Amino acid sequence: MKLQLEIAGRLRSVELETGNYEPGDSARRYAATLDGQPIEFEAQLLHPGVLSLLIGHRAYRVVFEDDAEEPAVHIAGERHLYRIDDPRSLKARRSHTQGHDGPKPIKASMPGRVVRLLVQPGDTVEVNQGVVVIEAMKMQNELKSPKAGKVADLRIAPGDTVTAGEVLVVIE
Amino acid sequence: MFQKILIANRGEIALRIQRACRELGIATVAVYSDADRSALHVLEADEAYRLGPAPAAESYLRGDRILEIAQEAGAQAIHPGYGFLSENAGFAEACEQSPIKFIGPPAHAMRTLGSKIRARQAADQAGMPRVPGSTRGLASLEEAYTVAGQIGYPVMLKAAAGGGGKGMRAVAHRDELKAAFESAQSEAERAFGSSEVYLEKLIERPRHIEIQLLADEHGHCVYLGERECSVQRRHQKVIEEAPSAVVDPELRRRMGEAAARLAQSAGYANAGTVEFLLDSDHNFYFLEMNTRLQVEHPVTELVTGLDLVHLQIRIAQGEPLPFTQQEIQLRGHAIECRIYAEDPDNGFFPSPGRITRLLQPGGPGIREDSGIYEGWVVPMDYDPMLSKLIAYAPTRELAIARLLRAIDEYVIGGIRSNLGLFRRILNDAGFRSADIDTSYLDRLLANGHAATPVEAQGMNREDIAALAAAIFEQNRGAAPSAPIQQAASSAWKSTARREGLRE
Repeated sequence: MKLQLEIAGRLRSVELETGNYEPGDSARRYAATLDGQPIEFEAQLLHPGVLSLLIGHRAYRVVFEDDAEEPAVHIAGERHLYRIDDPRSLKARRSHTQGHDGPKPIKASMPGRVVRLLVQPGDTVEVNQGVVVIEAMKMQNELKSPKAGKVADLRIAPGDTVTAGEVLVVIE
Repeated sequence: MFQKILIANRGEIALRIQRACRELGIATVAVYSDADRSALHVLEADEAYRLGPAPAAESYLRGDRILEIAQEAGAQAIHPGYGFLSENAGFAEACEQSPIKFIGPPAHAMRTLGSKIRARQAADQAGMPRVPGSTRGLASLEEAYTVAGQIGYPVMLKAAAGGGGKGMRAVAHRDELKAAFESAQSEAERAFGSSEVYLEKLIERPRHIEIQLLADEHGHCVYLGERECSVQRRHQKVIEEAPSAVVDPELRRRMGEAAARLAQSAGYANAGTVEFLLDSDHNFYFLEMNTRLQVEHPVTELVTGLDLVHLQIRIAQGEPLPFTQQEIQLRGHAIECRIYAEDPDNGFFPSPGRITRLLQPGGPGIREDSGIYEGWVVPMDYDPMLSKLIAYAPTRELAIARLLRAIDEYVIGGIRSNLGLFRRILNDAGFRSADIDTSYLDRLLANGHAATPVEAQGMNREDIAALAAAIFEQNRGAAPSAPIQQAASSAWKSTARREGLRE
């Protein structure tokens, strides 16, 4: 099985030579390549989401954090976010985000509550003009327009609860 | 003697006080907002009463409602914790006029010492050194120019009603004063409903050192040594420790005696903290007094062997202090990390949400005061503090090592936390040599991350994370009885088989 994943801003390629297995299976040796370099190690799934790795006798406990938006693995107190991608969708995403002309979404930077709207639908906005203020845990965050344009779609109202990454406003 | 205490707070401090009550055989009454029905302080209490909707103004700040609940529940006292009503003199006074005892200072002492400007006047009368500047609010910009001219630039503007860095402005030159004065006033007005600001000489690269006091209701007051809280971000403490690496017994005695004198001059009782700035020549200047139990009280507990919450309760019951100043001994070193639901890699944005995984550290010398559990949804309505991780060891160096070891063991999944920031600080040469001041953390954060160390077989942590992520992804969504996929045959697979792969 070959996987491409983006971790710490780098695209990594991992090829794993073994199959699925279940909690309670005994430790298993993997033969893998990481960016083309062969690596052998032993792995045991302790219970779903907790993995013990032995790489050349160095022991690592890895805890998996399943999050549809941004999964992560924890190793010795450090959290590593990653994104899984097959090369085609990554290319597609990059080319999509490179365009400067199309409508631009303004997404919530954090989960929170909408405190204030600073624009109305149809308003003309400048680049970096404040558009909406969200608040969480006593911290307010003003989201700014990524481009000059018109407020095309205002999807929220004051008091609404929003999740991180949710599209709040579209500027075109 | 109290049989039942209402705890007018939430989160880790509510749990901390519940534990003390339970140890003393006192029943606990919790109060909660709608956002906190499933919070740990409700689950662990003997009794729990709903206060109201999530906003603090409609729940945890409803002193009238809390006092009613205390009477209805038959509690004899209220512990306010920190934040919320803890420094509200009006609430303390309402308790004084009821049969319910407020576990904290008398309202009159809180009024004198809790207002920054009045406390500065009291400090002057108690002969306490303080940063040169105005003792009262500035009436006009002209007065600001006059005072700044007298004490000399650089100066600092501060909100009279302030805290948490709101309404504060550093002013390096005369021509910056007008803009800073106006913006400090408007920020103070927005944050505290009062635009009153005052002005002080700016002490460059100061350390934040504070003295823990305990006073009984019979006129006795002792100091329990100092805490150093110089590691701050936006004027919020991030790491606290006791003792300070730079305070010697003589300086400790002078600071402690000055703090105790101030408290006694105002008729103070119960636990309180006097905060000081310490300049590079080890001159100390009075900053303010916190008339309550503080977040960082555990480091003092560890180095003194005392339980401050037990003592607060005993003092409120009218007992005299059970020890004298001479009997207080400091031993070892303690360091506390404030663990927040925020993302240091993304502008410290708050990160409320469900804790999907929680593995908490333990072992020698580790104390954790937390209010969280796996599966709980951290609400977006309150402060982002999740937990306080505290290490105690014979020396500062070993306390740092213990904290790093505990952070390695700690996993908080589902939400972001600042655990990684502590690893960085605790490994930093500047922190390790105690070369810190209140702008230390800003300087550290302005530098880039250090390279990750090399791990097994020449790989770094990110390489290992990539391998582990691939294994989890491969197993994601696999049906329980799914057959093992046969991977394409290869040279290493047969090697692996020869080495005893069981398949």
